[in-house]
Amino acid sequence: MRRYALCLLASWALAAPPIVIRNANVLTVTKGRYQGSILVRDGKIVEAGPKVTIPPDAQVIEAGGQYVMPGIVDPHSHIATESVNEGSVSVSSMVSVEDVLDPEDIAIYRALAGGVTTIAVMHGSANAVGGQCTVIKLRWGRDARGLLFEGAPPILKFAMGENPKRRGSLPSLLPGVTVQPRYPATRMGVEDVMRQAFLEARAYREEWRRYEEKRQRGEPAIPPRRDLRLEPLVEVLEGRRLAHVHCYRADEILAVLRLSQEFNFRIPALIHVLEGYKVAREIAAAGAGASTFTDWWAYKVEAYDAIPYNAALMVRKGVLVSLNSDSAELMRHMNQEAAKTIKYGGLSEDEALALITINPARQLGVDKRVGSIEPGKDADLVFFDRHPLSNYAKVLRVMIEGQIYFDRDRDMSRRAELEARKKALLERAREREKKQAPARRRPA
Amino acid sequence: MRELFVCLVCVASLAAADNTFLLRGATIHPVSGPEIRDGMLLVKDGVIAEVGTKVAVPRGVRVIEARGLHVYPGLIDSGTQLGLAEISSVRETVDTTEIGDFNPQLRAIIAVHPASEHIPVTRANGITTAVTLPSGGIISGQGALIHLDGWTWEQMQVQAPVCMVLQFPVIQTRQERPGARGPRPFSEAKRDYERRLQQLREFFEQARRYQKAKLAGSPEFRTDARMEAMLPVLEGKLPVLVHAVRERAIREAIAFAESQKIRLVLAEAREAWKVADLLKQKNIPVILGPTLELPLEEDDPYDKAYTLPAELHRAGVKFAFASFSTSFARNLPYQAAMAVAFGLPYEEALKALTLYPAQIWGVSDKLGSIEKGKWADLIVTDGDPLETRTQIKRVFIQGREVDLSNKHLRLYEIYSRRP
Amino acid sequence: MRRISRWAIMWIAAVLCVRAAPPSVFAIRGARVVTVSGPVIEKGTVVIRDGLIADVGASVPIPADAWVIEAEGLTVYPGLIDALSSLGMPEAAAQTAGTVRATSRSQQPAPAPAPTPPQTPEAKPAQGPEDRPSNTSWLRAADLITPGDSRLETARSAGFTAAVTFPQRGIFAGQGAVIALGGERAGEMVIAAPAGLYLTLTTAGFTSFPGSLMGVLAYIRQVYLDAEHYRLAKELYARHPASVPRPAYDRALEGVLEAPRVLLPASRAVEIDRMLRFAAELKLNAVLYGGHEAHRVAALLKKSGVPVLVSLRWPERSRDADPEQVESLRVLEFREMAPSTPAALAKEGVRFAFYADGLWSQRELVRAVRRALEAGLSQADAVRAFTLSAAEIYGVADRLGSIEKGKIANLIVTDGELFQEKTRVKYVFVDGRKYEPLPEAPPEEGGRAEPSEEVVQ
Repeated sequence: MRRYALCLLASWALAAPPIVIRNANVLTVTKGRYQGSILVRDGKIVEAGPKVTIPPDAQVIEAGGQYVMPGIVDPHSHIATESVNEGSVSVSSMVSVEDVLDPEDIAIYRALAGGVTTIAVMHGSANAVGGQCTVIKLRWGRDARGLLFEGAPPILKFAMGENPKRRGSLPSLLPGVTVQPRYPATRMGVEDVMRQAFLEARAYREEWRRYEEKRQRGEPAIPPRRDLRLEPLVEVLEGRRLAHVHCYRADEILAVLRLSQEFNFRIPALIHVLEGYKVAREIAAAGAGASTFTDWWAYKVEAYDAIPYNAALMVRKGVLVSLNSDSAELMRHMNQEAAKTIKYGGLSEDEALALITINPARQLGVDKRVGSIEPGKDADLVFFDRHPLSNYAKVLRVMIEGQIYFDRDRDMSRRAELEARKKALLERAREREKKQAPARRRPA
Repeated sequence: MRELFVCLVCVASLAAADNTFLLRGATIHPVSGPEIRDGMLLVKDGVIAEVGTKVAVPRGVRVIEARGLHVYPGLIDSGTQLGLAEISSVRETVDTTEIGDFNPQLRAIIAVHPASEHIPVTRANGITTAVTLPSGGIISGQGALIHLDGWTWEQMQVQAPVCMVLQFPVIQTRQERPGARGPRPFSEAKRDYERRLQQLREFFEQARRYQKAKLAGSPEFRTDARMEAMLPVLEGKLPVLVHAVRERAIREAIAFAESQKIRLVLAEAREAWKVADLLKQKNIPVILGPTLELPLEEDDPYDKAYTLPAELHRAGVKFAFASFSTSFARNLPYQAAMAVAFGLPYEEALKALTLYPAQIWGVSDKLGSIEKGKWADLIVTDGDPLETRTQIKRVFIQGREVDLSNKHLRLYEIYSRRP
Repeated sequence: MRRISRWAIMWIAAVLCVRAAPPSVFAIRGARVVTVSGPVIEKGTVVIRDGLIADVGASVPIPADAWVIEAEGLTVYPGLIDALSSLGMPEAAAQTAGTVRATSRSQQPAPAPAPTPPQTPEAKPAQGPEDRPSNTSWLRAADLITPGDSRLETARSAGFTAAVTFPQRGIFAGQGAVIALGGERAGEMVIAAPAGLYLTLTTAGFTSFPGSLMGVLAYIRQVYLDAEHYRLAKELYARHPASVPRPAYDRALEGVLEAPRVLLPASRAVEIDRMLRFAAELKLNAVLYGGHEAHRVAALLKKSGVPVLVSLRWPERSRDADPEQVESLRVLEFREMAPSTPAALAKEGVRFAFYADGLWSQRELVRAVRRALEAGLSQADAVRAFTLSAAEIYGVADRLGSIEKGKIANLIVTDGELFQEKTRVKYVFVDGRKYEPLPEAPPEEGGRAEPSEEVVQ
């Protein structure tokens, strides 16, 4: 699989000719649907419409009526990383998922095969102030740096409700292991931890300001100690880093909205936000976004009032809504998840598709590059054999920046070869073990 | 917090006992036969009396117009914990797993909570019948086949017990012990497995001796609830639902069932494709775990879970779909749809949600298709029930129309109206 | 008073002991001399005096006071250097000597006992970098050497004459030392110190910081920032003691500041890439250790100029693994290809050295090196990776690593080419002292020979 991707990479390095995708049912998401073509040059969509210019050197992809939609954007996942939670402390903003990206996680390829092209790799929800998160493209076969979505704003994860307070009330997670309770143990405490963190961040910024003054006055001074825990919080306060907040219940959603207003930062995505429908008006008024599951419920108390109408209801109340997977499995069929918002709450097709493309792109601050099929945007495209809102639709091909990263036919035709390679390796390993075995035996 | 669970609203919806009616104008999908356009379906006292394009209509019968709609048999989820678990992370609301390794005497049916919010949520998507299963230990207890409607569990009961649940011992090296890193040493795992397997064999042996003692009418004979519960298993009357995911466990489960002469139904057999021929040859049915699942192994093709049903179908293995869930049970038809996208014929997918589970559980005289004499477990839809976008318009269980309202719909309505 | 005098007597006795030591002048005559730094001398003589190589060449005069070793048919090599070890470290000597507990997923030894948590159970869990968890950067291997470590003799018998040894517990484990594997007292074993700071990426579990790989990296990053800040603060205070606050002494940072180089774990290609970027970001004078998948990123390593210490404990399936469990292609390839790393690095011109990773017996060592040779590594490169390259990486090539006049007389004399199964080490010279190797022990069973089980997911 890996070698396969490396081959792709090699071909990518060469200056690629323009690509024309012809005879496609194009779902642009933002500009409706048309039957026609897409012209791609240097990884960007140049033209999109019933008729496009076909450069003489163009490579033509005959879509034969297949459905082409923008690459799916999953604003909340935990794949492609070697750590998820720094759960030891209640404020873990010093850690960064970007440090531990794992470009060889097979989940990347599997998500690609489900039409996903851009994801946010998120820190977990074990603490009130979580870690730094990163937006990547699923350029399978590239190294960690090659995955990064260049220019995407960084994210800081926050979490409310049961998860961050769990360590405060559970005396033990594992049998026989005593665990010191960790503040906070209540929703009150979670909010307090966040506020304290922001107050500290403000003080830290102030400390730097005073140092600058001192320095300008020529007094002996050294710069303050750089605090990696507080710097991301300062960036949030200054609007240079996005705040994504894991939350469930209406009360905590409201609490964090008010906290954001107190400290004057925006929340582009309240994450999961399963009771968002109860305070949709307040979310919309605060200008926050919401990223939810469609129909997960009852797996914990704070998810007991979750309803599959949540997304549609929030859309109707004017909230910018997206769907997220939080799961390596669910992310492989986000198109089917989108269909659920038509069933539950009656969204239109375009509204439903927006939940997994342009809306999450907006929440991640990358909507200028991805999320819809429009000239100027990245050629991140998914080819389905049927309308993607049908449960029978299969992903046939996935393109990122004009480069094919998943091709179902190629995947199928490579299977026997991989099997043979594996067999050969197993055989060699077995021989090696056999050869070493006698040497290990003790003399009688 | 506790109050939250106590005040679960009781919403069992035995509507007026009007279980005689004529349903008319819809396309009827009997599953057991070709579809009937503009069909008529006569239900008398909860049983299908006639089905066809023209049926004799008794005078004064209630008529339900369903023009433009579709009628299917109610869907069956062959593995759930419906009624046994409410909020999975809250122990107090979960009654699936008892202490101890051998609990054949435990009956899921008596712990089914008729007021569980999961029941109306699930049936609103067309699932009318479900197998609900205890879990844990080696012999977990007796599963029950229930209707997703009823004031009491007695009213919900279709067949209980419907199976004995056995978690086949496995050599578990992959599992992480709490706090442990990396796999467990094989020798240790194998010892553990052999011990458990030995316990299982001995338990069966003990049950057999009990059976003999009972038949002999020996004066020392004492009734033992655990042993009594094993008798139908030993007599081959009650199938054993054996959870065996990987090839080795599946093969061993088959060998075990043969040696013990018990009826085997496999559950969650994700590597069943590796032993499909054997399953076919031995005529062993499989209750499939979710199709929407990650491949088991890193090197498995990305679509391995999607193609498993098609592969079993091609090999001639009989199977039924199951969610093995409570809160996701309503999505059962979409599990089947994904299998269709990856090669399973549509008709087979539909049968694996209706007729096949009825056959596997021995209730095909009452359930699983729209045929004269069967129970009127029906769903009326505006399209293909395997498609998410399809709406379920009406649901009938034994001819009683069932309320489609549920917690989710109610909250939706309440908060839609919030100013 | 009385105690002092007793110490003094012992000290004098010790000095006398050294003085009265066995002969200090040797001439190894008629041997094939593999100098490593220069061409092989097919028939030459090496003269050792007072612990140093006094002369080497095809025709050098033999001093009158020399003990002459007739070495016709024998070969002289520079003594091997174990470029990363725990030899002589008391805690490691007490534990099972084994794999270096290194990085994230790839090197977690399967059935090994869980790493001892750095805190005692009663201690408060670390709340962040400020608590300096798992930081004993002030520990110095040079201060900890236990000459009685029985493994020293095992290693020496296989041809090791020097080792770079480190305290290995915790994240900032401590400062290494280049030591000679011979000598009576700890002090005289030390060739150079500090040799570098040994880092691991060990997590402290879920309840104490850092509990994750990303937490460990964030922690290391903060510590380096803190160290720089500490340095500035101390300098400023020294200049303005009257007007700026006095910085609190921080032994954890003192250790970080004095380290001439930093050893970072990296075995899989992903980890190597990650550590190279990390080292560049922190401007560390880095040396990577592990290196099993370096063959995939040789060019990247070459570009970075960062040397690699390659563990000879090639990844293998645990002998107690489920025989029916088929591992992933990725894992199989990792195992199959690991021994091709040395050849790939040599070809690319990446500086690398070997470390035995606990395989100190002659048999295990030869078997491990042979796999690298079979995978394309030249004999000369293999010898260099055990000698001069290691010395260069640690900046002691002026003293160690080759047979040159003036270098420390760490030599081995063998009856054939090194790393051949039949070849035996006849004599070992450490600091000019002659040692007879132990007879080869029967093959070992159990813990030590157990290959490290990697989990690549």
